[in-house]
This record gives sequence, C-alpha cells and structure tokens, in this order.
Amino acid sequence: MLTLPEIGLYFSFLLFLVGLAGVMFRKNILFMMVSVEILLNAANLAFVSASKITGTIDGQVVMFFVMAVAACEAAVGLALIIALYRTKASIEADDLKALRG
Amino acid sequence: MEGTVGVVTQFLDSNIGLVAALGKIALALVIALQVAPIMVWVERRQAAFIQRRIGPNRVGLFGFKLFGLGQPLADTIKLLFKEDFVPKQANKFFYILAPIVTAVIGLVAIQGIPLAKEIVVGGHTINMQPVNLNAGFLYLFAMSALGVYGVALAGWSSNNKYALLGGLRASAQMISYEIAMGLALLPMVFIYGTLDLQTMIAAQSDSLLFGVLPNWGIFLSPISFVIFVITMFAETNRLPFDLAEGEAELVAGFLVEYGSMRWSLFFLGEYAMMFTLSALTTCVFLGGYEIPWLSQTELVALLTPIFSAEPATWVASLIGLTVLLAKTAIFMFLFVQARFTLPRFRYDQLMRVGWVYLLPLALVNVVVLALIVGIMRLT
Amino acid sequence: MQMDLNFIAFVVMGLAATILSGVMITRRWPVSAAMVLIAVMTLLAGMFGLLEAHFAAAAQIIVYAGAIMVVFVFVMMLLNLPPEELRYGGVTWGEMVLISLGVLVAIVLGTQVGQGLLTQGLESMGYAPGQTPAHAKSLYFAADENVKNVAATMFVDYLWAFELVSFLILAAVIGSIVIAKKRSAENANAA
Repeated sequence: MLTLPEIGLYFSFLLFLVGLAGVMFRKNILFMMVSVEILLNAANLAFVSASKITGTIDGQVVMFFVMAVAACEAAVGLALIIALYRTKASIEADDLKALRG
Repeated sequence: MEGTVGVVTQFLDSNIGLVAALGKIALALVIALQVAPIMVWVERRQAAFIQRRIGPNRVGLFGFKLFGLGQPLADTIKLLFKEDFVPKQANKFFYILAPIVTAVIGLVAIQGIPLAKEIVVGGHTINMQPVNLNAGFLYLFAMSALGVYGVALAGWSSNNKYALLGGLRASAQMISYEIAMGLALLPMVFIYGTLDLQTMIAAQSDSLLFGVLPNWGIFLSPISFVIFVITMFAETNRLPFDLAEGEAELVAGFLVEYGSMRWSLFFLGEYAMMFTLSALTTCVFLGGYEIPWLSQTELVALLTPIFSAEPATWVASLIGLTVLLAKTAIFMFLFVQARFTLPRFRYDQLMRVGWVYLLPLALVNVVVLALIVGIMRLT
Repeated sequence: MQMDLNFIAFVVMGLAATILSGVMITRRWPVSAAMVLIAVMTLLAGMFGLLEAHFAAAAQIIVYAGAIMVVFVFVMMLLNLPPEELRYGGVTWGEMVLISLGVLVAIVLGTQVGQGLLTQGLESMGYAPGQTPAHAKSLYFAADENVKNVAATMFVDYLWAFELVSFLILAAVIGSIVIAKKRSAENANAA
C-alpha cells in the first residue's frame, strides 16, 4: 500500500471481482458482455500499474492489444446478439438451450 | 497588511502549480461561456444580412441601441423564466442528464487549447495551456468522441420516435466522421513530429518559399485542411450536416422534447465544441496564437525594452490570445456562412461522403505525406 | 505514502470506479448499466493519466468510452429491451471452489512473492526495488516522452503482434457485418 501503482493493482483486483460477480449473477447476455468489459478493464489497469512499478513500457503496449481484442469481441458479440434477437426474440442465457441433448 | 501580503505571496509561490492550473481553467471557462451568447447574436445578424434583412438591432444596453448586442441577454432572461418541464413519458434521469453531458463536454474540451505561449510570474514560467498531456491534441479528440453521448441520450430519453431516430442518426454521423478527422490530422503529426500543440505552433513561425508564406500547416498540407474543416462541420452537427436537428425534416430531431434552459444548455455545448474545433484548426493549420513571421520569443524580445522582462511576457500573451481569438473568429464566421448558404445533406449522402469519399481521400493523404516526409527526413 | 493531491485523487477515483461498477451490475435497464460503465471507463482513464500513461488514458477514452460503448449503446437503444431482474438462487459449489482458488492466487501474486516474480531480471533497466520510477522507461526515447516510447516499442518489439491484431480487427469487422446482416429472401436462397 505504499505507492500509487500498487494501489492500482489492488483496485484492479477489486474491479475484477466485481466483473466476475456480474458475469455469474446476470443471465441477460448484454449484461454479461458489459461485465466482461469490466473484467478486461481491470486487466488493463493491472497492466498499466505493472508498467509503472517496473519502469518498463511494455505493460502499456500490451494494454493496447487487450483493448483492440476487447473491441473486436464487443463488435462480434453485439452482432450475434442482434442476430439472436431477430430469430428468437429473447436474449436470456437460460433460454438458449436448443442444443441441449 | 505587510504580513498578510507576505503570507499570500509565499503561499502562491509554493503552490504555483495548483494556482496556475486553476487560473488557466478559469480563463478557458470564461472564454467558453462567453462564446455562446456572442455566437447567438452573430448568427442571427449574419443570417439576416445573408437573407437581405437586418436582424435584431433594437435590444441594447443602458438605453443605447448597440446594434442589438443585448439580444442574447434578453433571450437568456426569457429562457430562464420559461416553464421547466419534464415530459411524462420520458426517462427522467437521462432526460436531465443529456444536456448537462453536452454542455460539460464542450466546456471540458476547451481546456486543451493553448491560449498563449507562456507567462512568467515571479520567476515561475507557466505554460498557458490548461491541460497539457503528453498525448497532445488526443485529449481534444477524446472529448469530441464523448460528445456523441449527449445527442444519443437526448434522443433516447425523450421516448419519442422522432427524437430517437434523430439522436441515433446524429451519433452514427459523428462517429463516422471522427475517423476522417483523426486521419486528416495524422499527416500534421508527421510533419511537425509531435502531438503537442505548443510545439506545433512554435514550428509554424518560420517562413516558407523564401519568405513569401508563413510556415503554416494549411500551406504544408492543404488537403488535410479541407478534410478537417469538412469533418469539423459534421462533428458539431452544423449544416450542411445537421440531419439530427433538421428543422424541416425531423421536427428539430433529438431536441424536440426540450425547452427553455435545457435547450440552451445544448446550444452552449454545441457552440463551445464549435469554438474548440475551430481553435484546434487554427493551432494546427493557421499558426495558432502567433502573428505570422514573428515567433513568440522574438515578440517578447521586442517588448522587453518597453516593459520590463516579466510584464513583456504578459503583454505578449495578451496579444497572442487576441490573435487566437481573431483567427478562430474566421472559422466561426465560416460556420454561420455555411449554415445559411448550403442545402442540407440527405442521410445516405452524408454517410456516403463520410465513408466512401473522405475516408479513402484521408488515407491516401496520409500515405502520400508519410512518403514525402520520410524522403525529406532521409535526405 | 505521501498524501499529495495525486494520491488522494487516485484513491478517490479507484473507489468511485469500484462502487460504480458494483452499481452497474445491479441495474435493471441495460442503458443505465451502459451509462454507468462509461463513467467507470472515464474514471479508469483518469487513473491511467495519474500513472503517467498519458497515451493509454487518451486511447481509453477514444476507443473504449467513445467507440466500443457507443456500439453497445446503439444496440441497446435500438433493440429496446425490457428490464430484467437479477438471478435469485445461490452460488453452486463449483463456482465457490473456483472463486476461492482465484482469490488465493491473487493474494499470492499481489504480495511480496508476486512482486519478486514481477521484477526479476529488470536490473538492466535500472530498476531499484521499492522505489517507483517517475516515468516508464524504454530503450528508445527519453523517459518522459510517453507516446514516442509506446509507439517505438510497439512497432519494433511487438510488430508481429501488431500486424496479427490488425488482421483480427479486419476479421471482426467483416464477421460482425455478415452476422448482423438482414437475410432477405434471395439472400437466404443464395446462401
């Protein structure tokens, strides 16, 4: 708890816990995607804090790649939600059980 | 009395960073808040002259007509006394939040503009740019990217199909033209080698072509200038790109459920964003706060014999601020002129211009200028 | 633990981000959750700025809060979904085991053990343990030019990753357009 980036690591852990709770306790797919964005942001905060602790710049570079991957995942996930809504008109995770054997 | 003056100066001396930051933010806020009333008056008078009318010229102050300069004051007083309502079917929290978001983003974005070079107060040099990140003008892009939300929220929270359509179309238009805006400014980053606006302005004080032209960005990369001005119109939802507030089409679009002070908060945000983008254009393309062919250090050196060393920087900064406001006024004039001269784009034409014409042109511009700058740096 | 303005601002922003994200996962309307998430991301951008990662802060607002969340907000506003309640019912045993395992790993990594693993072999970069450098250094430019350092490292050390991520973005763009396209009658027959 001494310096700023170490507190950043602790906050990233707390944010990750919150995002995890969001993914587990919501059954609406949109809310799950939004909680996944919180998880990715917590990881980004951890990367940038680590970059400040060690004094290297690689943490910030990796953070950009995480951001780019998060953007792709959000775009494709939302396209899937739109397609899903068009066919089934429900986006609750519990209702998507057509493949259940 | 002596003791308190000494204590105050010592406090200022040790906390000069904080005090200077607060002072600069206050100055930028004052400028931003004064832009809206002045622009209201300018817009109505200029529209009138374009349309061969006279416009408001009766409301003055203290019994003098003053060309109708009191009109914005009268408008504000009227809007303050109008009934403040929230429609019954609207989502109350977001309905109240949307104009606040627009106004606040406009006021926050203006903090990234360099108002002058620097002033020297009591031995401390203060850079006259309120927000000076290492990422330079990316701060201004970030704020204009956040400006989308005010429009989208306003459209959605009014619970009105016209408003929703207008808000979503405006948001789609703003994010489409942001790409071309960023790509248009990218060659200027190649040419000047930095993202920092103060360094860009300092690099524009040389001369080009054996002293005929100043070293302004508009002469170094005119295509970037043209693309940036076009996208500037699209980012602020001004004609010819104002489908969102299209008066004849969508019944004032996303603003249809807003009245009185909430409506004027939207326009405060819109005019502040117009001013911010115009000021960014002058900083990158027209040399910012500097008088052409005369760099700021030469100006300070000229003024030092008249005033002493420190007040010379204050006078130079004042001159710089005046020059910046004058150059920005050119673009504000251009905004109003375009509004009452050009017809409005249809929505599919607007999207086609953004994606099919401007984006490839900006990309080709980036590639060509990257090649030119790279070859010039190698030789 | 110097109590200067940076420190207080960082702790306040971090607490606000955590509390707001907790608020966000308990919203009923999707649009409210999206707006709270935008606030969380802006706070995180502020924290990046306080950690001297200026380019990361600007990119967080431009990309995350200004583009990704706009797509979320569009979809939520256009689909016009009704609100829904939280899932009631307990956490299963498997979930409990996994979460406690994760907490254990986080505690182990977050204390001195993790610190030692994180900073092994960095003496060549001039790292002095227990002391936070003012700016993140790299081998290319001076320490306080954040944008130049990030750009140089990305295009020299991480060039392969950069090109592969650009392919990924291209695939995602094409994929999302294809998935979300309306299937008209002749399209469905041709596909």
